[in-house]
Amino acid sequence: MSTSELLIPLHVSYIQKLGENKDDLTYHLTSHLRLNAVYWGLTALAIMGRQDALDRNEMIEFVMSCWDEEAGGFGAHPGHDAHLLATLSGIQILVMQDAMERLDVDRVAKFILSLQQPSGVFAGDAYGEIDTRFLYCAVNALSLLGRLGDLDVKKTVGYIKSCRNFDGGFGASIGAESHAAQVFVCVAALAILGRLDEVDVDTLGWWLAERQLPNGGLNGRPEKLEDVCYSFWVLSALSILKKVPWIDAEKLTAFILSAQDPEGGGIADRPGDMVDVFHTIFGVAGLSILGYPGLVDLDPVYCMPAEVIEAKGLRKDWQALPRREK
Amino acid sequence: MSTSSSPEPHLFATDPAWADVTPIEQYEGSTAPLAPILYGAVYKDATDYLRAIVASNEKSPRVLELTEAVVRLNPSHYTAWQYRYETLLALKGSTPRLIAKEEDLMDELAIRCLKSYQVWHHRRLLVLLSVERKDGKLAEAEVERVKRELEFISRSFEEDSKNYHTWSYRQWVLSHFFGSSASSSVADNDEDEDTIESVWTKELAWTERMLEKDVRNNSAWHHRFFVVFERPGARVGEGEIRRELRYTKQSIALAPNNASAWNYLRGVLHRLSIPYASLQAFVTPYTVVSGDKPGSKDAAGGEEDEIIDPENPRPSPGAQLPCPAALEFLADVYEKEGEREGVLKAVEIWKSLANEHDTMRRRYWEHRIREGIEAISERKSA
Repeated sequence: MSTSELLIPLHVSYIQKLGENKDDLTYHLTSHLRLNAVYWGLTALAIMGRQDALDRNEMIEFVMSCWDEEAGGFGAHPGHDAHLLATLSGIQILVMQDAMERLDVDRVAKFILSLQQPSGVFAGDAYGEIDTRFLYCAVNALSLLGRLGDLDVKKTVGYIKSCRNFDGGFGASIGAESHAAQVFVCVAALAILGRLDEVDVDTLGWWLAERQLPNGGLNGRPEKLEDVCYSFWVLSALSILKKVPWIDAEKLTAFILSAQDPEGGGIADRPGDMVDVFHTIFGVAGLSILGYPGLVDLDPVYCMPAEVIEAKGLRKDWQALPRREK
Repeated sequence: MSTSSSPEPHLFATDPAWADVTPIEQYEGSTAPLAPILYGAVYKDATDYLRAIVASNEKSPRVLELTEAVVRLNPSHYTAWQYRYETLLALKGSTPRLIAKEEDLMDELAIRCLKSYQVWHHRRLLVLLSVERKDGKLAEAEVERVKRELEFISRSFEEDSKNYHTWSYRQWVLSHFFGSSASSSVADNDEDEDTIESVWTKELAWTERMLEKDVRNNSAWHHRFFVVFERPGARVGEGEIRRELRYTKQSIALAPNNASAWNYLRGVLHRLSIPYASLQAFVTPYTVVSGDKPGSKDAAGGEEDEIIDPENPRPSPGAQLPCPAALEFLADVYEKEGEREGVLKAVEIWKSLANEHDTMRRRYWEHRIREGIEAISERKSA
C-alpha cells in the first residue's frame, strides 16, 4: 500500500487493536499515560470521521474508573493518583462522548485550581512538577467545564508572559529554552484567555516557520531532528496566529504520510520508526489543519473536533488551510 | 540488587524477606493470564509489591530496595519516585549518610534515565536536603557540593547535549544557590561576592566550551543569554556588550548557516536597543554569492592581504554563501531605514529569498514583500 495517501482504514484498525495485548510489557510501562492514550486514539478517530469505531459506553466507564475520589480529579489509570494531564484527557473524552453529566464539575474545578502556584504556573500534581503544559491543561479544562471565571487570569497570563524568550518563543518555565510544544501550550492558553496581545506574532510566526526542514518535516527547536508530532504543535500555534501558509504545506503533508506504517497502520515520529498512538493523532491532526481531503475539521486550540468546540460556544479566532476536495 | 545482572531475576514474590507482604495486582479480577515474557513478569512483580507497600504506608529500608527495582525498570514511574523520597525523609534521621548514598546511586542511575523528568526532580529534592543553609550563608563544603552537582550535569551532557530537563535543572541550581538575592546568597562580605561572581564567570566559560563542541547547540546559546543577560545579578556594561557582539559575530563567521547564532544576535540587539544598521558592514559579506576570485582568502571574495577587522569577521573559507539569515538581516536593515529606496532594496532581497535562497518559506517572503510595498504606497497617498 502506498504512503502517498492517508491510510484511514488501517489507522482505524490500529487504534482499535491498541490495548488488546494487555500482556505486553509496553502496555504496562505506559499505564502512566493510559487515559491520555485513550484521548489520543479517540480524537484521531474523530478527525478521520470514525469516532464510532470504539465503544462509547466502555470508554466512558474506563474514564470514570480513573476517577481519584480522594483528590477529585482523574488519574492516568485506575488506582493512579490524579494528575492534570489525565484530568484534561478525561474531560475531553467525556465532552466528545457527550457524557458531561458524569462529571462532578465543582470537585474537578477545585482540584484543578488547587494546583496553581503563587507564581501563576500550575503543578501537574502533588509531586510538584511545574510546566507551562500543565498551565494549558488547567486553562483548557476549566474552559470546557465553563469555570474559567474561577481562575485568576492576570496571574496566569503573567506567568506565560515571563516565559517569553528573546526569540519570541516560550519555554516550559521561566528561563527555559523556546520549544515548539511549549509554544503551542502558551499560545493556546493565551487564545483561550483572550490575551494573544502578549504574543509577538511576526517574530514567533517566523520562528515557527523556521522549524521546517528541507525534508519537509518540522522540528521543535533549531538544529534538532524533525518529528511528526511537531506537525501539530507548530501548525496549531501557526493557525492561532493565522500564519499556516508560512510553511510549505505540500512538503509537510508528504513527510507526515511517509511516516505511516502501510502494513499495521499507525504513524511514527519519522519514516521507518515504530508507530505509536501519540504520533498517530498528531500526524492526523496536522493533516487536518493542512486541509487534507476527507478529514474532519480540528479545533487547534483545544485539539478536539471543531464542531464540538463550536457547539459549546468556545471557538476562538484561528485559521486553518481550506479543506481540499478529494 | 540489580535484576539485570543476576542469571535468575529477583522476584519479590519468592523472596523470604517479603513473605509478610500480600502483593496487590493492577487488574483486580482480571482472568487474563500473563504471557511468560520474563521481563514483563519481573515488572509486574515489583509493581504489585509497590502497590501493597503504598497501601500499608510502610517506610522501611526494604522499601528503598523495592522502589529502586521499579524505577530501574521504568524511570517514569512517578509514584515510585515520590514514595521513595517520602521513605528517605522518614529514614534519614536514623540512618547515617543515607542521603549521601542516595546521591551516589542517583549519579549511577541518572545516565540511564536521562529523558525522565523524575530523575532530575529527585536530584533537586536531594540537593535541597543535603545543602542546608545556616543564617542564609552557604558553607564552603556546601558550595563544593553544589559545584559537584554542576559537574555531574556537565557529564550528563556528554550523553545528550540538548536534554531539555538537564538544561532547566542547571539553570535552577545556579539561580537557587548563586543568585544574588538575599535568601539564596553566599554573600555576606566582599569575599563572598567574589565567590558568586567567579561562579558566573566560570559558567560563561563553561558555556563557551559547550559551544566550541557544537556551535549549533541551541540550548547552549539560550543558556548563554541567561548567564549574560537574565541571571539574578546580571550586570551588562559596555565591555559585556562588545564581548557578546564580537563572540556572536565570530561564531557566525565560523558557521554562517546557524539559526541559533543569528537568533542570539537579534536577541542581543533587541535587548540593548542597538540598531540593526550598526551591523550592516559585518553582515554584507555574508550576502554575496560564494567568491570564485582566484587567491580569495575567504568565501566572500576578500583579498589575501586585507587587514583583518575583529569587529567584522569575514565568512570562513568554504562557507555556503549567500547565507539566507544574513540576507534576511540585511533586508531588515534596509526596511528599517524607513525610506522608499530602502524598502525597495529590501523587496529585492525578499524576492531572492522567495525564489531562490529559501523557497520553502516563499509565502512568508511574499508576505514581507506585500507589507513593504503597502507601507510605501500608504506613505505616497498620505
